[in-house]
Amino acid sequence: MHVLKPQFDPAIDIAPLPTAKTLRQRRNLAYQFVRFLGINLKMIRVIVSGHH
Amino acid sequence: MATVLILGAGIAGHTAAMHARRLLGRKHEVVVVSPSANWNWVPSNIWVGVGKMAVEKVTFPLEPLYRRKRIEFHQAMAVSIHPEGDAEHERGFVTIRSTMVGTKGKESQIEYDYLINCTGPKLNFEATEGLGPSGYTVSVCTAPHAVEAAEQLEKAIERLKAGEELRFVVGTGHGTCTCEGAAFEYTFNLDHVMREAGVRDKAELIYLTNEAELGDFGVGGLTFAQQGFQTTSKLWTESLFRERNVRAITGAHCTEIVPGVIHYEQLDGIVREVDFDFAMLLPPFRGAGMAVYDREGNDITETMNNPAGFMKVDANYQAGAYEQWSADDWPKTYQTPLYDNIFAAGIAFAPPHQISQPRVTPRGTVITPAPPRTGMPSGIIAKSVVLTVVDRINGKAKPAHEASMTKMGAACIASAGMSFTGGSAASMTMHPVVPDFKAYPVSGRDLRGTSGEIGLAGHWMKHVLHHLFIYKAKARPFWWIIPE
Repeated sequence: MHVLKPQFDPAIDIAPLPTAKTLRQRRNLAYQFVRFLGINLKMIRVIVSGHH
Repeated sequence: MATVLILGAGIAGHTAAMHARRLLGRKHEVVVVSPSANWNWVPSNIWVGVGKMAVEKVTFPLEPLYRRKRIEFHQAMAVSIHPEGDAEHERGFVTIRSTMVGTKGKESQIEYDYLINCTGPKLNFEATEGLGPSGYTVSVCTAPHAVEAAEQLEKAIERLKAGEELRFVVGTGHGTCTCEGAAFEYTFNLDHVMREAGVRDKAELIYLTNEAELGDFGVGGLTFAQQGFQTTSKLWTESLFRERNVRAITGAHCTEIVPGVIHYEQLDGIVREVDFDFAMLLPPFRGAGMAVYDREGNDITETMNNPAGFMKVDANYQAGAYEQWSADDWPKTYQTPLYDNIFAAGIAFAPPHQISQPRVTPRGTVITPAPPRTGMPSGIIAKSVVLTVVDRINGKAKPAHEASMTKMGAACIASAGMSFTGGSAASMTMHPVVPDFKAYPVSGRDLRGTSGEIGLAGHWMKHVLHHLFIYKAKARPFWWIIPE
């Protein structure tokens, strides 16, 4: 059997990279606190929908 | 007096036991059989597996808690189920084999009025030669596996620090694996710990997966709204991997692992190989493998279970081809068709089919993620089953409670790092887990409950959830207020 070397997913090479602003937002405590509340609300929605 | 027998003490089994004990009067018995002496919060095994959390933080002994709660506990594995009893047992019973030091191997029988099968998966490392801790790769599926993974990782990081360049492969060890989210999270954590150690530039990190494309996660991928556009989990994952310098091999079925080399077949039918210095590959799952016998002793295992050993419940197992699949195929009550006093919850129930589109290579190899049904869905299903059982024991003529995966959501947070400001996370929510294209024609899911984002917020959320679920599992005051 002819065995080949790995072929990596080429889509990663052209995927969009985050901007410097996005990277800063991911670490900004005030911004992330607001997102924390947002994720909480989203999870409450998910949890409530699953508990009938 | 009724006896509720629960097989397994994982997320589903422990949830079932605690709610059954809370909701049933003292005159009723709740009995748990589990081969392990400890409870394990499996999602946090990822942190144990990169050496960032002690194993004691994710496990605790079950016996003292069950003694306090008056739950009868047997450290044993279930060997066979006899739903109709036999000449010596009027009620249904289960034969168990002790796994406890001192009585190991001793068999006994436990009769029941209601049986809840929460046996979870058998980790089927044997499906791929060389896979797993007894082969050449590590795993984070159990707490001891995670400890071993951390030890091997530590040695690899020491080699990186010494100036060697190494290749790390993380992913799925078979074409039919599930829990791709766990492999994704371990990849994310490896990247984080190697950056922390200042050796990331010496390491090549590869995500090897049975998903046909990145972001599938065994749920057919997600669509979510972001900054006024609908985007996909595929693009989201590709972007994250590009940013973190992770390469990916998709649509792969590992055929054999030998020291330092993984052989795999891809969806194009071509067999390739990738060498590695450290590999964490998840195994495929099988059912627990209990035999089932009728009153005359005839083996009815194949009637009760699907070919993979998972217990059939109220699902449509005749759905046919992918194009005919529907949300209605998925079970609602988790009651077995043959016996109205036997249920299967969590990984133990047989799903009607995959969620991701099934794919086969030109050689005929199936490479399709199995549907995930761990974590939040396991807990919700187990509680729903208990509510049905409690109603019946209390003589309430109500229909069975329902908990369809086409109605419930789930969250998957891949979080790395331990400090408040130094961590990072990729968080996903989905609603519902199984797409329902009748209810949500665009993507099969509710865009308001389906999301993906990266940042500290998810990292905080993951730590909050870790402490909340362990608090709940330890039955601390008002534990039952915390949802599954």
